[in-house]
Amino acid sequence: MKFYGYPRPDGKVGARNYVALIPSVGCVNALVSHIEHMVRGTVAIRHDQGCLHPIADTEQVTRTLINLGKNPNVAGALVISLGCEMVVGEQVYEGIKASGKPVDMVRVHELGGMFETINKGAKIAANMVFETSGIQREEFGMDKLVFGTKCGSSDTTSGLSSNLVTGEVCRLMTNNGGIFIQGEICDIMGGEYALKNLSVDEEEGEKIVDAVRDLYERGMAVGADVRGSQMTAGNVAGGLTTLVEKALGANAKGDNVSIQGFLNYAEIPTGPPGRYIMAFPGHGFENLTGSAAGGAIVHLFTTGRGAPNGNPIMPAIKICGNAKTNVSMRDHIDVDVASIIDETETIEQAGQRFYEYAVSVANGKLTRAEILNFDSGMEILIKGPVM
Amino acid sequence: MAKYAKLIDDKDNVATAVADCAAGDELTVRFKGKETTYACNHDMPFGHKIAIVAINKGQKIMKYGEAIGSASQDIKKGDWVHTHNVKDDYKVLDKQGNPLPGQED
Repeated sequence: MKFYGYPRPDGKVGARNYVALIPSVGCVNALVSHIEHMVRGTVAIRHDQGCLHPIADTEQVTRTLINLGKNPNVAGALVISLGCEMVVGEQVYEGIKASGKPVDMVRVHELGGMFETINKGAKIAANMVFETSGIQREEFGMDKLVFGTKCGSSDTTSGLSSNLVTGEVCRLMTNNGGIFIQGEICDIMGGEYALKNLSVDEEEGEKIVDAVRDLYERGMAVGADVRGSQMTAGNVAGGLTTLVEKALGANAKGDNVSIQGFLNYAEIPTGPPGRYIMAFPGHGFENLTGSAAGGAIVHLFTTGRGAPNGNPIMPAIKICGNAKTNVSMRDHIDVDVASIIDETETIEQAGQRFYEYAVSVANGKLTRAEILNFDSGMEILIKGPVM
Repeated sequence: MAKYAKLIDDKDNVATAVADCAAGDELTVRFKGKETTYACNHDMPFGHKIAIVAINKGQKIMKYGEAIGSASQDIKKGDWVHTHNVKDDYKVLDKQGNPLPGQED
């Protein structure tokens, strides 16, 4: 098993080779879509944020856009600004430029509307694809791999099969020097102390517990005890008895691998390689965006009932241990681990198989979500009120 | 056809059935090269838990090697273990270990 990826100027290695079209505000999404359709090799990172947030959210959106541009799957980036938004296009441009990749910017108010902006922006994007599409894959060590993970449309099989198999991948890939990013604060709720106990640094571990407290308090601010909404009637009918049980099943995606640190939403880990916990939510769109902005080049997405979504710049592999779903949702499932439920394969065997599969995706094999174009939607997490 | 239950950790006192079970069914657990069989005391759907040892009222229910709640009544070996005999002890705690306001038992 070898990893062949796209070398980047900052020393990171990509699994894909896109020119990203990054709107600094959702108001220009239509224009970004037009350029994407005109220029092969571009990928639009459409989102609905960028304006009328509290400052903390403007900073979070800015960081997210910069770090999406820095994602190793991105070869170059074109920032598309409107001109009156709170997110400052130049900041996004400069932030991505620091990675050494080609980056450019166009501004709709300066150029005078859609057609002029497309005229300039599409030419820039086309030239950027022309230059970057010649970058060749090279052989790299397994220590260059960065995987994210989440569980979605989960059922009883998730905590008994796909999550445990993903946990084995976490163990294998971090042993080889890779980075593994996990999160979903809603799913950690109930298992936060188990994760704190796995943290190499107590302060970092306490930040995981703080993130759960923050989620609880934000729920209470709108009159909801999120412990209740996190434990659904379907969960109970499926056999989950307590929130802690649900959380431990979700946490199992990282096995009992030590945790190197806590990451804010869309933050790139700068500490030693290994397992990290990011403050991304469970909701798929914001979740995958946070993982991609953190630098994940492939996402390991466990499912029980069949979640179809991917992300524009980061392939998401669907792994499922429910034999019925593996038939009914076959269009969307990449890896079948019903063998764990059937007792025909061990967690260790399936973990090795899934690790090799994930590397093959990093090497260029397309995921179901990519093949079906089921990966164009994304969103950026904001925490405060929309003004 | 044999019916199986999943045991995840040495410390666990429950296993999770991966078949629909009726009272009297035998559930086989394969764990670390050893096979053990448990008789179900109750009807129990796929994904639900069976006690693999007797658990006294107040004792912790262990799964994934961690306490997931505590027994709200005495539980016999082979019993179905779910919300009817398990108390969810979880609360969000402040830094001093006290429950944050707004959480009922």
